[in-house]
Amino acid sequence: MQLLNKLEGDQTMIEASDRSRLTMAEFAKESRIRADSYHRYHIDTIETPDRQSLPNRFLVSVGKFGLAKLLISEVFEYWGKWDVVFARPCTYGVFSGPVGGFSPRPEKCVGCLRCTIEHPGFVTITPNPALESLGDSYMNSKIISTIDEEARKGTVPVRGQGYRGRFGGPGWDEMFTDMSEIVRPSRDGIHGRELISTIVDIGSKPMRLQFDSEGGLVSAGPKMMSIQVPFVFDSPAGSVMTPRLAKIWKMAAEQVDTLALISGDMVASNNLASPSVVPIISLDSYETANSFKNGTRMVQLDEWGASEYASMVSSNPDLMISVRMTFEEGWQDQLSEMIDAGVSVIHFVANNHGVADGGRFIMDIIIEAHEMLIKSGVRDKVTLLHSGGVVAADHLPKAIICGLDAVGLDLPLLVAIQARLSGDTSSREDYKAKLPRRFNDKWACQRIVNLTGSWRDQMLEILGAMGIREVRRLRGEMGRAMWCSHLEEEAFSEIEGFIGGGI
Amino acid sequence: MAKNKLPVFPSETLIHKITHLMHDGMEARTSGEFEIPPALGDARWTDELILSTWHMAATGTLPEKLNYKTGDSNGGFDRLDFKMLEEEQWLKHSEDIKTSIPLNRRGDHRKKLSPAIPIYGGGMSYGSVSVNVMMSRAIHAKNWNTYMSTGEGGYPEELYECRDHVITQVATGLFGVEEKSIQAAPIVEFKYAQGAKPGLGGHLLASKAGEEVAKMRGSVPFVSLFSPFPFHSTYSVEDHSKHIDWVQTINPDALISVKVSTPHDVDMVAVGSYYAGAHIIHLDGGFGGTGAAPEIAKKNIAMPIELAVPKVHKFLIKEGIRENVTLIASGGIRTADDIAKAIALGADGVVLGTSDLVAMGCTRCSNCEGGPSGRGCPWGLTTTDIELQEWVQQEWAVKRLDNYYTALQWRLRDILRKLGLSDVKELVGRTDLLVYTRSDLE
Repeated sequence: MQLLNKLEGDQTMIEASDRSRLTMAEFAKESRIRADSYHRYHIDTIETPDRQSLPNRFLVSVGKFGLAKLLISEVFEYWGKWDVVFARPCTYGVFSGPVGGFSPRPEKCVGCLRCTIEHPGFVTITPNPALESLGDSYMNSKIISTIDEEARKGTVPVRGQGYRGRFGGPGWDEMFTDMSEIVRPSRDGIHGRELISTIVDIGSKPMRLQFDSEGGLVSAGPKMMSIQVPFVFDSPAGSVMTPRLAKIWKMAAEQVDTLALISGDMVASNNLASPSVVPIISLDSYETANSFKNGTRMVQLDEWGASEYASMVSSNPDLMISVRMTFEEGWQDQLSEMIDAGVSVIHFVANNHGVADGGRFIMDIIIEAHEMLIKSGVRDKVTLLHSGGVVAADHLPKAIICGLDAVGLDLPLLVAIQARLSGDTSSREDYKAKLPRRFNDKWACQRIVNLTGSWRDQMLEILGAMGIREVRRLRGEMGRAMWCSHLEEEAFSEIEGFIGGGI
Repeated sequence: MAKNKLPVFPSETLIHKITHLMHDGMEARTSGEFEIPPALGDARWTDELILSTWHMAATGTLPEKLNYKTGDSNGGFDRLDFKMLEEEQWLKHSEDIKTSIPLNRRGDHRKKLSPAIPIYGGGMSYGSVSVNVMMSRAIHAKNWNTYMSTGEGGYPEELYECRDHVITQVATGLFGVEEKSIQAAPIVEFKYAQGAKPGLGGHLLASKAGEEVAKMRGSVPFVSLFSPFPFHSTYSVEDHSKHIDWVQTINPDALISVKVSTPHDVDMVAVGSYYAGAHIIHLDGGFGGTGAAPEIAKKNIAMPIELAVPKVHKFLIKEGIRENVTLIASGGIRTADDIAKAIALGADGVVLGTSDLVAMGCTRCSNCEGGPSGRGCPWGLTTTDIELQEWVQQEWAVKRLDNYYTALQWRLRDILRKLGLSDVKELVGRTDLLVYTRSDLE
């Protein structure tokens, strides 16, 4: 009876040793409570309308004289059959305003082109140059429009018709991911009853455990933390990041259960310290590493400094210390030095087009770094993060396949909250971002959460198709990726004129 | 729905008005009377490819001023060309140039089917398209002594009049699969995967799963339908063989086609499918069409068909079974030139889907899944909306498809004769007749 009261009262779990004393009904009830207490990780997305809508996809031009002429002729031809006279060549409402086609509503146009095909003499549909001019050669208007939709709806974009773009590369487009014809978590399960884990571990795992002669553990255990998604929120350009944005980054990171990387000064001056916030500190201020408190689990040095790192580790044994590094000439030696010094979280950085190391695309560089660490037998001792060049949902799994543990996102978050980027957007520092004139923090946070929900769900599609049940197993799975240039070599090498795949 | 007004079955007058406006407009655009619509086309299906397809569908001939051969994707078919012979060595253009292919190469007791052209129609389900579109494709297949597939949405009663030319698809959701439709089929197609969404199963959004569609599929109206993936009863070649045994019990004469996507091990999958009993290995490449698919799946998962066909063709030869199985390619095949290139890379024939829709007026606006209106295709193709579906009238659509295939066959023969070949079967695997072009380097 006491046990039953316990069940009906605070509903805490009953010790295993007591469970045998339960009646069948009590046992069933306790089992139900146990089952109900399981909360599967889920990102709560909510449709969040625009504050600064993108330009319309299309411009709609209707010749008023032509339209009037058509209407008059149809009035006579179909006199009395008004449904026929006023039948409009648009199911989307472009001509459904009070005066129909005399004042079209281009914001509703989806480009089916029925109107311009039916009435070529006086209706023209044109791609909107104002939309097409958004972004740059890498993060183009198509990517920006897609992020905008993902941040608004929080769902996986689904469309009819097949692929519309280039055959293969450059960049991430060079890679196709694999799939399995028969063995996988079933797709009806991916977003439902079957679990595909997207948890990643940040930190270091010991290569082995060591015991003393008495069987006691003498080596250190793993020093790591887990985040629920393989991406962190990185800080955008210093001139763009404001305390308000930093607060939004933090709110979203807490909601999604990931990390927000924010400059240490901003964290300190705005009381943003939290387990979900990683202060970024310069070598000059390395001594501030232990000043953030409030559950701070990790800080990040913004560049490598061996003595500073050693000092930070010795004076902050419980704090994880990560280090940023750029891919400049000789980066391989620096990476080795960092590994030898025991750095367990390394955050690579390339420019916003994913270019580093004298013009190489990060896909190749990440693979080189990952394989270098495998050859050294230390890959599991270190977590590899990367920022720069990951701006679309498909880039995320592809970057992980190349060997990353997780990815840093910055520009996509700005686009999610409808910032208009300008300046040198390939640079990590020399661009500007114009935010919507009016928005509240909750709105911005939800837009970012929606984007992450959409990207996570899209990653589940990729993982499901590959038959992989956790994203940790995707890391470095290059055997499950196909490179267009390699496939072209295999398929076309016998064909006259073929001079090499991907060229 | 964008409007509160519910769609109603349109009057004859309205159908007459709309269809004439559509048909006249297509003709006006293809004839050059008006400029090419600036918003038409993309890298895969350029504006000129769409308009040339409309021209072929209207006239049965190739256009003179439009590029009807290649798109602008900068790879694959768009970089391949033929090493044509000198003009004096060309064969005479005639109907003696054979375009028929055998589908049963196993030499077993089952039907010996030989479509007149190395093309048949890919699966588009009832729900993703209307009965009008299905029937138009079926009648056209009958006219051309070829086939079209039901897709995964059941077998509408009307199709039985063309039963000898309708492939019954059995896909992972088993939607609408009945003993009767298996018995009717000359070919039963097991769809393991679809190129546009490999490994993800079918997808019909709620707005298109209306009452008739749901009834056919045994589902609840206006509830989104996701076919499971994979076949929950198939985890090995042996399990697949069991499926084939099941079909053989119901219909001992039907050929078996296995439609798969193009993963890394597609060659092994093809061999396994053959040993399980398949007559046709149908590869669906990553650029294939769909009524609805996650955008991330298109192109990113699995490889393009141009890269998969030679891989499988060579492996089947290596395994000594190439002569015993028919290799069919689909997923991104747009033109007669693409068809010939796919065959030269190693396929026996091809399956077309999107091309059929373009011939019937599709502009590839990508709103097939429902679009903001929730009603589906405004051209009446990929919709079951009671009003919109009437914009595709069967008689007109059949004529369009017949004309289109006439032009395709003409161009296919044109390529063959310029290569000195009198039979399309002689082209299979002849990569020596192809040349890789780099116009961007010239």
